Amino acid sequence: MNAPSNRPSAEGEKQEQPMKHHCEHHAECIKKIQAILDGEATESEKEHFRLNMDKCMPCIQTYHLEKCIKEALNSKVLRKPCPENLIATIKTKVNS
Amino acid sequence: MSEAPIKEGYSDDKRYEVFNREFMPHIDSMYNFAFRLTTDEDDANDLVQDTYLKAFRFITSFEQGTNAKAWLFRILKNSFINDYRKKSKEPSKVDYQEVETTYNSEEAADATYTVDLRADAVQDLIGDEVATALNSLPVDFRTVIILCDIEGFTYEEMAKILDIPIGTVRSRLHRARNLLKEKLKNYAGSMGYDA
Repeated sequence: MNAPSNRPSAEGEKQEQPMKHHCEHHAECIKKIQAILDGEATESEKEHFRLNMDKCMPCIQTYHLEKCIKEALNSKVLRKPCPENLIATIKTKVNS
Repeated sequence: MSEAPIKEGYSDDKRYEVFNREFMPHIDSMYNFAFRLTTDEDDANDLVQDTYLKAFRFITSFEQGTNAKAWLFRILKNSFINDYRKKSKEPSKVDYQEVETTYNSEEAADATYTVDLRADAVQDLIGDEVATALNSLPVDFRTVIILCDIEGFTYEEMAKILDIPIGTVRSRLHRARNLLKEKLKNYAGSMGYDA
């Protein structure tokens, strides 16, 4: 978004990597991002995420998208309470 | 693990006590799971009732102190597959195995596959649209999303509930989410988002 992709490398030792606008292993990255958001990532996945997350625009966008979808499922999908009469029926049948 | 399993000889009082203390607190989650699987209120009622009666009947095989919610979900899932899916009027549901085979054969396409959907488009969707998109997924894919994103089970718990390896949980979840993104994209598109 803000970093030019072909900045002249006149900065000597400084290893400022340009922002990537294409991810060559994006399908794998999506799996890692999902595991991170699910709290199920391995240590090496977390490490990979820490090192690369802010350098790849498709992955940054994916992270936000996956997070939004997960939150939408969790908070927007209506959860109905179990009908009272069903609870009563179960209790009666168990007791009979 | 820590507490001893209930013995066959337990009194009725003890059975009721365990049933009420360990199983009943999960009834709302169970009802919602049943409703999302069957997409029908009457079927959901029957499925929850059958599951709880089975749970009571087999209460001796539940180990106190272990995960009652996962145990109940597993019974409900099995009852759904054995009793409800067969008689479902919906066009023949996709079988787990079939789903896995189909999608594995598309592994190559999957490697470059991304859905062009923006996060802000998802934020603008209402609950009904998200629920409808979820309900439109084949039941096996719907199930993993419900367990993970709505009910908050870990991959390990999901593996036990579904009787599949953790690696399969992970890949099925990934594919389910790709499908869901496609569905959500249709709604976002109809709202005027270009992506």
